[in-house]
Amino acid sequence: MASRLKILGITLAATLAAVAADPMSVTLPGITVAARRPADIGRVESRLDSAALRESVALSLSDVLGFNSSIFLKNYGRATTSTANFRGTSPSHTQVSWNGMRISSPMLGSTDFSLIPSYFVDKVSILHGSSSLSDTGGGLGGLVKLTSDAASTMIHDGLSARYVQGIGSWKTFDEYFQIGYAKGQWRASARVSYSSSENDFPFTNTDKKENIYDDNHNIVSSYHPRQRNRSGAFKDFHAMLSASYDARRLGRWSIDAWYLSSNRELPILTTDYTDNRFTENRQREETLRAVATWSRPASRSRLTAKGGYAHSWQAYDYRRDLAPGVVSVMNRSRSHVNTAFGSVAWAWYPATAWLFNADTDVHYNHVTSLDYASSIPGGPPTGYDRGRVEASVAVSGKWRPSSRLGLGALVREEVYGSKVSAPIPAIFADYTIVPSIGLVAKASASRNYRFPTLNDLYTVPGGNADLKPERGFTYDLSLSSEFSYNDRLEFSASAGWYDSRIDDWIHWLPSPRGFYVPSNVKRVHAYGIESQVGASIKFATTWQARLSASYTWSASINDGEPMSEDDNSVGKQLPYIPRHSFSAIASVMWRGWSLAYKIQAYSERFTMSSNERVLGSTLPAYSVSNLSLDKSFSLWRLQWHAKAAVNNLFDTTYRTVLSRPMPGINFELFLSLEI
Amino acid sequence: MKFKYITLSMAIVAGAFTFSSCSNDDPDTPTVDPVAPAGLYIINEGNFQASNSSLSFYDPTDGTVANNLFRTANDMSLGDLAYSMTIHDDLGWVVVNNSGVVFAIDLETNKEKGRITNLTSPRFMHFISDTKAYITQLYDNRIAIVNPSTYSITGYIDVPGMDASSGSTEMMVQVGKYVYVNCWSYQNSIIRIDTETDRVDGSLTVNIQPKSMVLDRDNNIWALTDGGYYGSPYGHEAPHLMKIDTRNMTVALNLEMSLNDYTPILAINGAGDQLYWICNDVYTMPITSTSLPTEPIIDSEGHYYYGMTVSPDDSNIYIADAVDYVQTGKIHRYDAQGNFVSSFSVGINPRGFCWRK
Repeated sequence: MASRLKILGITLAATLAAVAADPMSVTLPGITVAARRPADIGRVESRLDSAALRESVALSLSDVLGFNSSIFLKNYGRATTSTANFRGTSPSHTQVSWNGMRISSPMLGSTDFSLIPSYFVDKVSILHGSSSLSDTGGGLGGLVKLTSDAASTMIHDGLSARYVQGIGSWKTFDEYFQIGYAKGQWRASARVSYSSSENDFPFTNTDKKENIYDDNHNIVSSYHPRQRNRSGAFKDFHAMLSASYDARRLGRWSIDAWYLSSNRELPILTTDYTDNRFTENRQREETLRAVATWSRPASRSRLTAKGGYAHSWQAYDYRRDLAPGVVSVMNRSRSHVNTAFGSVAWAWYPATAWLFNADTDVHYNHVTSLDYASSIPGGPPTGYDRGRVEASVAVSGKWRPSSRLGLGALVREEVYGSKVSAPIPAIFADYTIVPSIGLVAKASASRNYRFPTLNDLYTVPGGNADLKPERGFTYDLSLSSEFSYNDRLEFSASAGWYDSRIDDWIHWLPSPRGFYVPSNVKRVHAYGIESQVGASIKFATTWQARLSASYTWSASINDGEPMSEDDNSVGKQLPYIPRHSFSAIASVMWRGWSLAYKIQAYSERFTMSSNERVLGSTLPAYSVSNLSLDKSFSLWRLQWHAKAAVNNLFDTTYRTVLSRPMPGINFELFLSLEI
Repeated sequence: MKFKYITLSMAIVAGAFTFSSCSNDDPDTPTVDPVAPAGLYIINEGNFQASNSSLSFYDPTDGTVANNLFRTANDMSLGDLAYSMTIHDDLGWVVVNNSGVVFAIDLETNKEKGRITNLTSPRFMHFISDTKAYITQLYDNRIAIVNPSTYSITGYIDVPGMDASSGSTEMMVQVGKYVYVNCWSYQNSIIRIDTETDRVDGSLTVNIQPKSMVLDRDNNIWALTDGGYYGSPYGHEAPHLMKIDTRNMTVALNLEMSLNDYTPILAINGAGDQLYWICNDVYTMPITSTSLPTEPIIDSEGHYYYGMTVSPDDSNIYIADAVDYVQTGKIHRYDAQGNFVSSFSVGINPRGFCWRK
């Protein structure tokens, strides 16, 4: 199945399911349109369907979001740090939660999406701008909400299992195994994966030239060398245990635990002239996250409580052997991050048209971040050891006075350490313009705050304890339509305008002391258009075709005061934010066969704040296409699935970060079986 | 470590290859810019791990500037964090710190003539002869000895008492057969090397982190420390301006500034009798002075001054302004009395200067 993105909140599959379950559904002759629940009033939400998440065991969430959403992912190379620029904001402006617990780094505020395998996430919901406030504060760009649970992995009742093996270019190997058991009120599953690669893909290094010398050391010729990505190997291991028990009147209980172990080399720059045989540049991480959930639905309410804990150990080593027995350690950082989490949420439906929510959550983050290299021999390491309580309380009410009109309001309050935000209000509205085709207009507006991260405040050297929180104001306007016709055609489309102003944007700049210090220096105006279209059609009796596409126009403008009369950055697009983003997936299915074509394209990105377009100062526009062919079949009472994929089909040369090459054309083969 | 400081913000600050804002050249048509026989090279550091260092040239006689010389002439990047440049005979030697390389370029064409590779983290290059030069390094307790005629490393000078991981040797000045080197990051000494033996034969303890150093007309060394930083395990103190008598390796004068003063660079005029330094603003005093001036000669007015040089001909002061560190920087030119003369655009994060005479 091809994957697709739904921008306004309900996947077609979910819509159809909702039609079956929701008494507000309307069936007209030939056309089915889902009515809208109060919870969705004014909400701009995209969901990734399971087909997108299960497309390949080799994919990280970074890969999936790149082809299925309007979020721009900035990659430092294959299997290296991948951060999100959502609606033209910075990576720390995108909140990320897993089963309700925030997993954005409390040190950096950002999330590395390359460390989240798509097979370990069962649902992805992207809440755009103001809509994120229904779940959390601080998401000036939005919230990426991840869910994993045992039920989603079940293939059927009783014992089930799935094994997937993949092999790809540059000695890339992927293994995935899951086993599940479902009986009565119980669900339990376990899944593990292991991915490894030499990752030494070839590329033409246009940043360097190889010289040819004569006997007198005169250069007689030179050329851009064809070389391999050096120091890029990785080994990632993930394991997840999930269990749930539905105790009927006593509620539903579940627990999910996720362990990851990552060992990655960091690729060297394209302009490195050292001998990397003597250099180690490596990043390691061991993280355990666990969340327990209890949820008790009643006739007109639902009470949900969650508790969680996460521990992460992160190491970064950069060292060089200078001579036998002599090692220069340039960086030996060790960080321990402990997070305790608890939340309670209550939803009350006094009548069909009304919904009230009250929720609170508390995260306690404790970070010990030390660098043993930034020290004198035998001396103490540099760094910090700090903890902070981050709490949030919200109440909201939503009302649908008629089948066409919905109104909602929310107020959230946040506490970070001893700092308390001003009340954060949000209002939502929607109106169904043409019920027969599900044409709905939505609007929302909100304030928002993002508090400084622990690194912003306490990093040594550079932490700035005087930082103020970033303050944002956002409004959204959108139109969407979705309907199905005679079970043969499913269609959805949406287009929306967003506009955000963020004051006191935290920016790291070199300080008078020679190192970088964060300060509240910028005002950013981020605005743009998000659009999406999706369609699925069945024809003849065995054919099905699907298409989904999204396009985003994103302006992210430095709207602050110039730092000096020579500052040409005011009024310019922020570095690395593309103005135009496009992705599309087209697929055709026939009797177990599936052929899918995917493309993602981005416009030119500036790397200078002044947007100068001179030699090498911009990252050129690019598009990357993938092609895959799948076949599902039964053999020996087993369900088999074989897949061949060609990535970067046209061998496009591209970069998303200066001096970091991306791989050219490459190939993958997968085989999976289920019982 | 300074690298560490930069690493902290690598995901936040990035940059690009730069080019003159004075130039309207078609970026797809590289051309070799003419270079006057005398003038000022500006070494633009670029952003850490963005490989967008660049080289500019300014002709003080007519005020013209040519940017991005190396990339234009050679169709490749200068590298990551170009740091300094030295001219010897007709070749310019550009030290590129985080690329571990020194490029030799023909000063007439800016084309590469050769390269010295596999250096740990090179900072400055100093010529002893046509066949011998020293290259100081960060994260290394050795000073590389190179043969410029063969572009090869021929040996190393071990610095006694210096750990490899916190190793740091920086600028070099020569008096007779001795080369003096300030040891900066997590260091507090100035060492003396006998160029005949290529060995360290003397050392002087000074204040924390001597960042830059010049030689005056009397062959005394003036060193400017940066005092470390708050929270540093090596200590944090006020920067000092120190006069060192090279005859007996003693501190002849030690002038203390204020805690948290920003002191990135010390320079001297062509006659070797007038010091200039950045301490937030720009200050100057004659080498005969025994106390610090109270008033700056140039007020920074909120600019981020990143580097400075003084013309050996007319004592004009050239100050590097990084603006916001992610766009083309500016060089502000002042006369010897601190009166503004002109400004011109160069590359990202201009820091180093090299005079071609």
